[in-house]
Amino acid sequence: MLVCLGAGGAQAAPVAAGATAEGAKDRGTYRVAAELLTDVSQVRAGDTFRVGVRFRLSPGWHMYWKNPGDSGLATEVAWDTPGTTVDALQWPFPSTFRTPDGFITTYGYADEVLLWASARASEQAQGGLTLSAAVDALVCEVQCLPAQLLLTRTLPVGPASAKDAQASALFDAAALGVPRPAAPAGFSVQVALEQKELTAGKPFSGTVTLAGPALPRAADAFAKDFFVPERIPGVAKLALAPTGTRGTFRLTGEAEPDAPKQAPRLRGVLRLGDARAPSLELDAPLAPVAAAAAGEAAAQAPAPVREVPLKVRPVLPAGSAGVAPGGAPLSLPLVLLFAFLGGALLNLMPCVFPVLALKAYGFSRMVQEERGRVGLHAGAYAGGILAAMLALALAVLGVRAAGRSVGWGFQFQEPLFVAAVAAVLVAFALNLFGVFHVGGAGGGLAEKVDASHGLARSAGEGVLAVVLATPCSAPLLGSAVGFALAAGPFTVLTVFLTLGLGLALPFCVLVLVPGLAKLLPRPGAWMERAKQLLGFALLATTVWLLWVMGGLAGVDGMARLAAFLTAVGLAAWLYGLAQGASGRRRLAGLLASALVVVSVGALSLRFAEGGERRGAGSAEGVAGRAAAWDEGAVAKALESGRPVFVDFTADWCLTCKFNERTVLQREDVQAAFARHKVALFVADWTRRDATIGQKLAAHGRAGVPMYLVLSPRAPHAPEVLPELLTADTVLEALARAAGPTAPGAGCAGPEKC
Amino acid sequence: MKLLSAVAVVLFAAAPALAAEAPGEAKVGEAAPAFTLKDESGKAHSLSEYKGKVVVLEWTNPECPFVQRHYEAKTMVKTQGALDPSKVVWLAVDSTSTHSASSAKAWKAEQGLKYPVLLDTEGTVGHAYGAKHTPQMYVIDAKGVLRYAGAIDDDPRGRNTANAKNYVKTAVDAVLSGKPVPSSTTEAYGCSVKYKQS
Repeated sequence: MLVCLGAGGAQAAPVAAGATAEGAKDRGTYRVAAELLTDVSQVRAGDTFRVGVRFRLSPGWHMYWKNPGDSGLATEVAWDTPGTTVDALQWPFPSTFRTPDGFITTYGYADEVLLWASARASEQAQGGLTLSAAVDALVCEVQCLPAQLLLTRTLPVGPASAKDAQASALFDAAALGVPRPAAPAGFSVQVALEQKELTAGKPFSGTVTLAGPALPRAADAFAKDFFVPERIPGVAKLALAPTGTRGTFRLTGEAEPDAPKQAPRLRGVLRLGDARAPSLELDAPLAPVAAAAAGEAAAQAPAPVREVPLKVRPVLPAGSAGVAPGGAPLSLPLVLLFAFLGGALLNLMPCVFPVLALKAYGFSRMVQEERGRVGLHAGAYAGGILAAMLALALAVLGVRAAGRSVGWGFQFQEPLFVAAVAAVLVAFALNLFGVFHVGGAGGGLAEKVDASHGLARSAGEGVLAVVLATPCSAPLLGSAVGFALAAGPFTVLTVFLTLGLGLALPFCVLVLVPGLAKLLPRPGAWMERAKQLLGFALLATTVWLLWVMGGLAGVDGMARLAAFLTAVGLAAWLYGLAQGASGRRRLAGLLASALVVVSVGALSLRFAEGGERRGAGSAEGVAGRAAAWDEGAVAKALESGRPVFVDFTADWCLTCKFNERTVLQREDVQAAFARHKVALFVADWTRRDATIGQKLAAHGRAGVPMYLVLSPRAPHAPEVLPELLTADTVLEALARAAGPTAPGAGCAGPEKC
Repeated sequence: MKLLSAVAVVLFAAAPALAAEAPGEAKVGEAAPAFTLKDESGKAHSLSEYKGKVVVLEWTNPECPFVQRHYEAKTMVKTQGALDPSKVVWLAVDSTSTHSASSAKAWKAEQGLKYPVLLDTEGTVGHAYGAKHTPQMYVIDAKGVLRYAGAIDDDPRGRNTANAKNYVKTAVDAVLSGKPVPSSTTEAYGCSVKYKQS
């Protein structure tokens, strides 16, 4: 088909020069016609005029913009104009073309386009000016044809410039389509990246805030392809999406694997609405500039680009100038250390306490036995923990492969999981009450006592420890898991297993250090009471899970779960009866028990995403005055000069709840919020929320809690507070963010603010 | 053990039903996507069978003017000829949906090519590699890691044929001498790959 293009394909010789030419010959038909135009028919020496090339294409054919996109070749117009200086070529806003499968996206022009430039005749011009343009374009329908055209015309020089009305109309129309540079048009552009620095080959994201006249608000006011990026060295992909907040766009991109010589900039054209709306040319630093001045000025005047590699200096939190940046890159060994310590610290968190108590009780029983047994049980417990961690890591990998965001504790966003854990806890509690026993087919009393510490049970306790530990986060843990979740499968597995080792540490120490186990209380008759008491601790944990379910699936969900738990209790009781019986009765009991769980489970375990989101954050969180987190609202608050505090929390996150009760709701902290006029926001991650997940990931965290403090003087440099808050931490961070004087509104009296 | 398995099941319940994993596009520095494709003579080539050798993939389409220009200038043939065949394998890949073994055979004969032309009419391999242009080049090292992706040279308009910087040769030389590839990704240029549009 195209092989018979003849004339040597891409090397087609330019045709004889005139003011018009045709190119891209396709089986006898030229697919593009070009004409060299000026908006004057005569020019006076020293006057300015417009010169351009008007392209007209066959239906279905297109040519390319200055960034052709995924394929094609930028159209090139080279001027040869002795006696005339020609300015930069003006490109009207391009169309976006996609292959039907969406795999290849290109930018260019169909039908017709006038690419033009301002020109000025020299003061010495006389007679006529020769204007020549060499055009190199690629013209495509499905197949592509190169067009190399040489155009030339002579413009007479006379005592006065004479406008060519027809051509002027074409130039005026083309000029309307050319994007205007943002700053001269009265717009300011701010880029807030969520990453402190771009990493070669890795995705990045952030927010672009545009301030200026007549911005549409609604997301659907924007044409589908309202933003077209230019070729940005060092950036492989870049896209903007309207957020529905006026002037705020979500930025997503990916850095190229090779770091460029210069820090990349956000460059592209943006249509302020639908296909008829005017457009802007954006050019702003992509990596945030150290926040010395208010961001506004930095965004308007393009900052001088220093020769820095892609690793842009991380922005320091306000007030910590001179302190080493906290964003030191984590290395795997360090992360593994964090994971191990974080896992060990988890033992001190409230979540794991019931299991720990259970385990301690089991051990004190076994101290009487020979040491080998104790070692075995510790091994079984650690094995259970590691197996559960492995399962969790695999689940994380699986969910991630399915393209969903995951985080530490993510499984508590799944109602069925919450229900299952609650059921296990109830069963465990009933087991401790002696309703039924685990393992061992016999029903002798002695065996019943012994069965409480079979190896399988120790392993099961290990698994339960992991399940219950996940809603708690510990210091160091968030960073370690955050690092893992952003890394490859191997790292995920090693980090999770190391975490498990940390979690198992206390009991391993108990076994490995001789004499330590002897310190445990001596077993006796109190053991049976203690065991039953622990059963109530497990039931209390179930109450908390019921409450979590309320956040996930509303009051109905809670009722359904309660019904199911009752069925679990009934089944456990039936199972216990069956264990005491034998033969047919035993079988009937077992069947009845299974039937109860299965049938009630099938009826009750249907959880709809529960109606109203409980205002857990606002009622429970930082304060009654907190608003739901929204990037646009945060930006607004910062613009009005208020510091911002964002509480990333979830109902099932015990560490979050602990921080909220013991620190954020303290009177002095609340007073500081009021004094500094802090805008409070709560990001509730109880249910899945991709935006919140991304924000957590952007700060290297895998889950909640996360606390951000933003200062209006450094809107793009949030300070991230530690997972375990103290009142002092919060107060100091607020003071730093608010700065030396309370900013903004409310200056009473004549004193300077 | 019952309890252990029960709780393990519970843990797995956390993972929602998994959607089929959509592979991302090949990335420099990561393992190159595995593939098996038949060439013009019907012989199957798998990437895995070339482990231990450097593999150069050349996305091609005989109908594309950019490919034609490079074939007239003998760019590919010369680049391939200058590489040590005991260490480097060169495979052309054609992902054009309308092409067939016979069209590839004819073209191979016409151009006197020594290397196989693999047919990817379904476009799966092209998509896995994120190939969007013809020509577009990939260099995979002996361990199967993608080390270069992009253009054959820095001369998209064919104006500097004599002094063009050949990225592929540079990349292969760097990989063979165990050095990092100086420009591991470049902006490919050319026609779009004419994928099957289902």
